[in-house]
Amino acid sequence: MLDHKEKIKNWIKTQTKIGKKAIFPLIFLGLISSLIAVGLAWIIAEILGKILIPTYSLQFSVFSLLFFFLVLSVFQGCVLFLEDYMTLKTGLRARHRLRQLFIDHIMQIGPSILRRQSSGALTALIVDQVEALDGYFSRWLPASILWIASPFLILVFVYLVQPWSALIIGLCGLMVPIAQAIFGIGAAIAARQQFLAMTRLQAQFLDRIRGIATIVLAGRSEDMANKLAVSADELRQRTMKILRIAFLSSASIDCAMIMAIILVVLMDGNQFLKSHSVQSISVTNILFTLLIIPEFFSPLRSLALAYQDRARLTGTASMAVELPEKIIKTQNVKNIPFSDQVDIQFKNVTYYWDRQRGNVLHNLNFTLKARDKALLIGSSGAGKSTIIEMILGFIKPNKGQVLINNIDITEYSASSLSALTAWIGQKPVIFNGTIKENILFAKLDASDQEFQKAIEAAAIDQYLPNLPQGIETVIGENGFGLSGGQAQRIAIARAYLKNAPLLLLDEPTAHLDPQTEQDIFKRLIQLTQNRTVIMATHSEQGKKIHGLHIRLNKGAIIDCERVD
Amino acid sequence: MMDMRMNVRQNNSDARSAFKKILDVWHTRLPSLILGVVFSLIALILGLALMSLAGSKVALTAIGVAITSSLFLKIIGSFRLIIRYVERLYTHNAMFHALTDLRIWFFHKLAKESAVGLGFRHSGDILSRLVSDIETLDGLYLRLILPFTGSILTFFILVSIISYFNIVLSFLIAICYIIAAFICPCCAGYLTRKRGKKLIQGMALLRITILDFIHGLREIRAFGAEQRIASLINKNEVNLFNDQAYQVKEVALIGVISFFFGQIAIIFVLMAGLNIGFHGLNALHTVFCLFLTLTAFELVVPLTRAGGLAGQIANAAIRVINVNNEKTLILKRDEQEKAPKYGDIQFKDISFRWNDSQPWLYQNLNLIIQQNKKIAIIGPSGTGKSTLAALLLKVVYPQKGMITLADKNLNQLTDDSVRKRIAWLSQNTHLFDDTIRQNLLLGDPKATDDELWQALSEASVANVVREMPDGLDTWLGEGGVKVSGGQGRRIALARTLLFKAPILLLDEPTTGLDADTEADFFQTLNKITIHRTVILIVHCLTGIEQIDEIWHLSKGKLIKQ
Repeated sequence: MLDHKEKIKNWIKTQTKIGKKAIFPLIFLGLISSLIAVGLAWIIAEILGKILIPTYSLQFSVFSLLFFFLVLSVFQGCVLFLEDYMTLKTGLRARHRLRQLFIDHIMQIGPSILRRQSSGALTALIVDQVEALDGYFSRWLPASILWIASPFLILVFVYLVQPWSALIIGLCGLMVPIAQAIFGIGAAIAARQQFLAMTRLQAQFLDRIRGIATIVLAGRSEDMANKLAVSADELRQRTMKILRIAFLSSASIDCAMIMAIILVVLMDGNQFLKSHSVQSISVTNILFTLLIIPEFFSPLRSLALAYQDRARLTGTASMAVELPEKIIKTQNVKNIPFSDQVDIQFKNVTYYWDRQRGNVLHNLNFTLKARDKALLIGSSGAGKSTIIEMILGFIKPNKGQVLINNIDITEYSASSLSALTAWIGQKPVIFNGTIKENILFAKLDASDQEFQKAIEAAAIDQYLPNLPQGIETVIGENGFGLSGGQAQRIAIARAYLKNAPLLLLDEPTAHLDPQTEQDIFKRLIQLTQNRTVIMATHSEQGKKIHGLHIRLNKGAIIDCERVD
Repeated sequence: MMDMRMNVRQNNSDARSAFKKILDVWHTRLPSLILGVVFSLIALILGLALMSLAGSKVALTAIGVAITSSLFLKIIGSFRLIIRYVERLYTHNAMFHALTDLRIWFFHKLAKESAVGLGFRHSGDILSRLVSDIETLDGLYLRLILPFTGSILTFFILVSIISYFNIVLSFLIAICYIIAAFICPCCAGYLTRKRGKKLIQGMALLRITILDFIHGLREIRAFGAEQRIASLINKNEVNLFNDQAYQVKEVALIGVISFFFGQIAIIFVLMAGLNIGFHGLNALHTVFCLFLTLTAFELVVPLTRAGGLAGQIANAAIRVINVNNEKTLILKRDEQEKAPKYGDIQFKDISFRWNDSQPWLYQNLNLIIQQNKKIAIIGPSGTGKSTLAALLLKVVYPQKGMITLADKNLNQLTDDSVRKRIAWLSQNTHLFDDTIRQNLLLGDPKATDDELWQALSEASVANVVREMPDGLDTWLGEGGVKVSGGQGRRIALARTLLFKAPILLLDEPTTGLDADTEADFFQTLNKITIHRTVILIVHCLTGIEQIDEIWHLSKGKLIKQ
C-alpha cells in the first residue's frame, strides 16, 4: 500500500500528463497573441516618436502604419476569440473525462460505497469538484508554460531595441516566481483545507435539507441555523485565507511591474539628461518598452490567477484517492449464460464491514434448491440484509464461498448476475420522473402488454384513478405523493417486469400497516411462484410462507427447519 | 426518470424583485459593501494616474523639458499597490459575509415552510440553490457592481480630461468607450439572459441525476441499469455543455467587438496627434491621452464577460428567493402567543381535506385529550390518523373548527412554541449523517451522557450501542445506513424520548421492530410516561400498552371504545 500523500501525488501526475496533451493549441495562440502585442506596441511607439520629434523619419508612412495597426487589431481579435474557444473546449473535455472516471469508479465499487461515503460528498465530487477543475486544465496548464515562454519572447524584442531595459524588466520579472514560490506553499495548504471544508459543508447541507421536517418539528430550526452559520463562517475564513495569499501574490506582480515601469522611465530619463541630445530612435524605443511592460507581466498574472485552480486539483485528488479501491477484476469473471433455474449454496461464509465491529455473518452454511423458498428470520441486526446484499453481489464474502448454480458468485460478471435476480427492499428508490418511467426502469423495452400486466399484477391500476395524471404522475423525492404501500407496489411491478428466476425480498413490508401488508403479501405470493425466493422478514404474515425457515442471531444460523 | 422533467418551477416574479429582496437581506452589510466600492474607485484612479504620468514623463524628457521629481511617481506606485491589496481583501470579505447571511436566511425560509418535508422539491435542486446559486451571487457585487461603478467613474475621468485638450477627440473616445464598456456588456447580458436560466437549470438537473445515481446505486446494480444511467448522465452533461459552449462563444464574440473599439479609440488619439482628420493635440498631450486611453480600455476587457454572467446571476437570484414557490396549504395567521405549558387538548368540530378536489377526510370531528392521560388512536391505514398529528403540530390547518391547547386556539400560538410542547416520532423520522450522540442531542441539546444512555435503554437499544467500538460517538452514516433498520428506528425513538415535552405523540412507534422488541418498548413506555400526555397512533394494539382511552378512527369518525 502506498501511503496517502504518495497516492495523491501519483493521481495528480497522471491527470496532469493527460491534461498536458490538450494544451498545445492554447500555448500556440498565447505566443501569437504576444507577438501581435509586440507589433501593436511597436506601431504606437513609432507614431508617437514621429509626433514628439517631427524630424524622426519613419520607415513606413503614418497611414500605412495606422492601417497595419488596424489589421493587427483584427488579428488580435480573432486570436482572442480562438483562445476563449479553445479554453472552453479543453475545459469541457477535461471535465467530461474526469466525471466519467469517477462515475465508472463508483459503479465498479457498487452500492457498498454508500457505507463509507455520504451521497452528498460523492455528488459534490462528481458535480461541483469536477466543474471546479475546469480551470486546472484550461487555464493553469497553459499558463504554467506560457508564463516562461511569452515573457521570454517579449524580452527578446526588448533586448533588440533596449538591452538595458530588457535587463531591468527581466530582473523584475524574476522577482515574481520567487514570490510565487514563497506564497505558493501556503496557498496550496490553505486551498486544500478550504476545499475539504467546502465538501463537508455541502454534505452537511444536503443531509439537513433532507431531514428538514424532522428539524422543524423538533423545534430546532434555530439551533440548526446557528450550526450552519458556524460552518459557513468557517468556510468564509478559510476562503479568505486563500484569497489573502492569492492577492499578496498578485500584489507582488503589480509591485514588480510598477518597479519595472519606474526604473525604465528613470534610467532612460537620466540617460537623456546626461547626453543632452535626444535621439528620436531611442524615444521610440523607450516608449515601446513602456508599452510592452504590461504585456510582459500579463502571462505572469494569469499564472497567479490560475494558482487557485492548481490547488483545487490537490483537493480533489485527496478525495479521489479516498474512494475505496476498485475491485480488481479477477481473471475468472465472465458472462455466465442465463438459466431459468437458480440454486444457491452458502459455504462457511463469514463477513465483516469493519474488523473492529466484529463479524456480521459468521460461518454460514445453507443450500437452497431451484424454485425453493427460504425465509431469513431474526431480530434487526441479525445479518438478514447482509445475506441478501451478498447474493446481489454488492459485497463479497471475506471467508467462504457463495455458489449460484454451482459457480462461485465472484465469477459472475455484474450483468450476468443481475440478469438472474429481482430484488425488493424495504423502501424502493423512486427516481426523478413519472410512475411509468419508474416502473419501466426495470425493463426499458417492455411492450405495452407486459407493462399492463405488471401494473395489474402489482395492483397499481387500483390507485391510479386517485392520482392527478394517472400513470404519468410525477413523483417527488423518496416517493413523495405516494403512500408506503403505493411505493412498494412500484417495486413489485418492477420485479414483475424483470421476470427473473431468483427473487430476493428484504423485509418488503417493514414500513407498512397490517392491512396494506396483507395486500402486498397477496401480490408477493403470486410473484414468488416458479422462482427461487429468499425473503428476510420478521412479520407474522411472512412466516406463513412455506419453505426453509432459517433463524439467525448475530450473524449465525441458530435453527434451520423446513415448514410445509 | 428517462425523460427528465424539471421540477424547477417557472416563476413569475422577475429578477428585479429578487435583487430587491437580496439587498434587503444584506441591509446590515450595506455600509461595508459601499465602503468597498469607494476603496475600489480610489485604487482605480491611482492606476490611471500611474500609467499616464509614466508616459508623460518619458515624453517630457524626450522633448527636453526639465524633469519633475520622480518621487511623485514612486508615491503613487506604492500607494496603488497597498490600496489595491486592501480593496480586494476588503470587498471579498464583505461579500462572503453577505453570502453567509444569505445562506442562513435561505435556511430559515426553507425551514419555515417545510414542516411537511420537501414535497415535490428535490433535495438536489435545493442544494444547488443553497450552494452554487448563492455562490453565483457573489458575482453581483464583485463582478457587476464593483467593475461597472469603476467603469462609470473611468468614463467621466477619461472624457473630461481629454475634452480639456480636444472636444472632438473626447466625443469620439466617449462613443468608443460607451460601446466597449456599456453596450457590449449589456448585449452580452441580454443575449445570455435566457441561456442563463437554462444553464442554471441544466446544472441543477445534472445534480439531481447524479444524486439519483448515487442514491439508487442498489436499484441500478440489481436491475443492471448501469449503462442506462450512465448515458442519461451523459445526455444531461452534453446539454449543459452545449449551453455553456454557446454562452462562451457568444460572449467571446462580443468581447472581440469590445476589444476592437478600444483599438479604434487608440487610432483616434494617434490621428489627433498626427493632425489627421481633425485639429490635433500637441505632442505631450497626445502621449498623456494615449496612456490614459490605453489604461482605461484595459479595464474594460473583463466587463463583457461579466455582462455575460448577468443572466446567470439574475436567474440565480430568482431561484434563491423563490425556494418556497411551491403551493403549500399554509395560510397566513396572526400568531403571537406562546403555547401554554400544560393543559388539555381539544379538537372542536374539525373538518379537513387536503385540497378542494378531494373528499373530506373528516367532518365535525371532536376529541378531548385530558392532561397526563394516555390515549390511543387506532384504525386502518388511509383514514387520516397521521393527519391528526399533522393538525396538532400545525403542519396543516383545518378548514373548519379549531384545536385548542389549554383553551387557547392553536392558530394564535406560534408554530415553534407549539412544536416545543410536543415530542413527536413520525414514520419518516430522519436520522442525520452524524454521530449517535449528535443525533440524540437534537432531542435535548443539554442532555448529559447519563441521560443519553437512559433514553437509549428506554428505547431498548442501549446494549447494541454499548457493543459498538465507538459507543455514543459511532457514526450513523447517511439515513442511519451503518445500523440496521430496526436499530435506527430505536435510536430515533430514544431521541423523541429525550425531548422533554409534556405531550408525547408517537405515530406507529414500533414499525420495523420485531415482536419481542415491540413488547419491551411498550413496557418501558408505561413506566416513563406518568407525568406526560401520550397520544399513541397505531394500527392495532398489542395489549401490553396501558391506555386510558382508546379511540377508533374510521370513515372520518372517531368513536371511543
